[in-house]
Amino acid sequence: MDVATEWLKESVVEVRQGPSAGSGLTWGFDVVVTNAHVARAGPVDVRLPDGQTRSARVRFADRQRDIAVLDVPRLGLPAVTRRDPADLRPGHALFAIGHPFGVRHAMSSGILHAVGPLPDGYPVPPPLRQLTWVQADLRLAPGHSGGPIADALGRVVGVSTMIVGGLALAVPITAVEALLTARAA
Amino acid sequence: MSATLSTFSDQLADAVERAARSVVSVHARPRLPSTGVHWRDGVIVTTEATVQRDQDITVTLPDGRRIPAQLAGRDRGTDLAVLRIATGELPAALLGDPAALRPGHLVLALGRSGDGGPRAAFGAVSTTGGKWRCWKGGEIDLWIQSDLTIYPGLGGGPLVSPDARILGINSGGLSRPLAVTIPANTVDRVLDQLLAKGYVARGWLGAAMQPVRYSDAARSRSGISHEGGLIILSVESDAPAAKAGLMVGDVIVAIDGHRVEHPDQVLELLSGDIVGRTLAVELIRGGKQEKVDLLVGERPRSRR
Repeated sequence: MDVATEWLKESVVEVRQGPSAGSGLTWGFDVVVTNAHVARAGPVDVRLPDGQTRSARVRFADRQRDIAVLDVPRLGLPAVTRRDPADLRPGHALFAIGHPFGVRHAMSSGILHAVGPLPDGYPVPPPLRQLTWVQADLRLAPGHSGGPIADALGRVVGVSTMIVGGLALAVPITAVEALLTARAA
Repeated sequence: MSATLSTFSDQLADAVERAARSVVSVHARPRLPSTGVHWRDGVIVTTEATVQRDQDITVTLPDGRRIPAQLAGRDRGTDLAVLRIATGELPAALLGDPAALRPGHLVLALGRSGDGGPRAAFGAVSTTGGKWRCWKGGEIDLWIQSDLTIYPGLGGGPLVSPDARILGINSGGLSRPLAVTIPANTVDRVLDQLLAKGYVARGWLGAAMQPVRYSDAARSRSGISHEGGLIILSVESDAPAAKAGLMVGDVIVAIDGHRVEHPDQVLELLSGDIVGRTLAVELIRGGKQEKVDLLVGERPRSRR
């Protein structure tokens, strides 16, 4: 797991906008994906793994799915590799990388709990509950938002988004792909 | 390193998949369903606290079908409830030995939420120990505490080893906030009684008592060898203690030859298959030793 973590770290940035700070992952050439609640409209600072800072701009944000796509000139980082979370089974090992409480590149490990909507009775408004989530039994904290959750080989399956009843919820990477495809069309 | 982790990851997912074949979701409370284990053919075990109604209970099978279930019995004392479903629907749970667990052993918690797929949590055994009595009054044969998160809906589900053996039933409410597991041997014991009678018969005396010690002076004056015992504070009318002639102020010093100095020792003697047996009670009354026979009754259902 140390190899996979070291490797994935190179694609995880810190996203800062005013008092808000979260994480982000490199999607492609000069493009970073994060949560919409981390980066709102306006200028955004992106801090690279080597400590350099870049100015970024929000290309678009989808509030309902809580995903924002940033254009980051001179990003120069490798894009993450992706894996469809539908190929995972509950019990598969997962890890998250992010900057919880400002601690840079912290790793948290656990397993896949389930993929799909949350069960009836979870304390979440129905529109959110009914979305498809990568649900992980691993510990997230504020600051992980926008960072990756990956499988044992470092392939990203979701974007860390929120914690409900201790359960880590991530937007499936396939949902991010669909958003980007819809915007490009 | 990553290949090793990847292999281990697949092993865990296989264990979840295999054990989940006998894991169902139980619809016996409003909104959030709980989890149950198909323990024996046609018999589902879950936690008592999650079965909030006696009628209109259904379970969702691993293939997504929702079928009716009948409550066969419940035991608040050990937080276990038993449901009957049609036989031949599912494989029975593949059980392991919970007594082999040691702190550090890796374990899984499984659940099913009603929509089909299993839900899993992973952790390690934190502490283990022998027999204990939980606050609800039941006797649990082993103490098994883990660092698993029992997420909403996972209560009543199994504790599973990485080789897919079911070791017990996880209870969200037995020792909150700790994740505690009711071991498979306790489940078997309670299950047999629930299937036979619908409830667990517990021994009952109908007397309240507390520890008391004799002063050296009192002992030498009366020639009592015992240092102390349990003084009776009240006796319920028509209860077994009253029928045996026990009175307020009597000091019980031994039951069936076992010295008793703490009420837990009496509860210990009253556990198991004891209802209807006669116990020899040694007591001190008015400074003199006496012996009475006491026919153990059954704890009234309202207090079970």
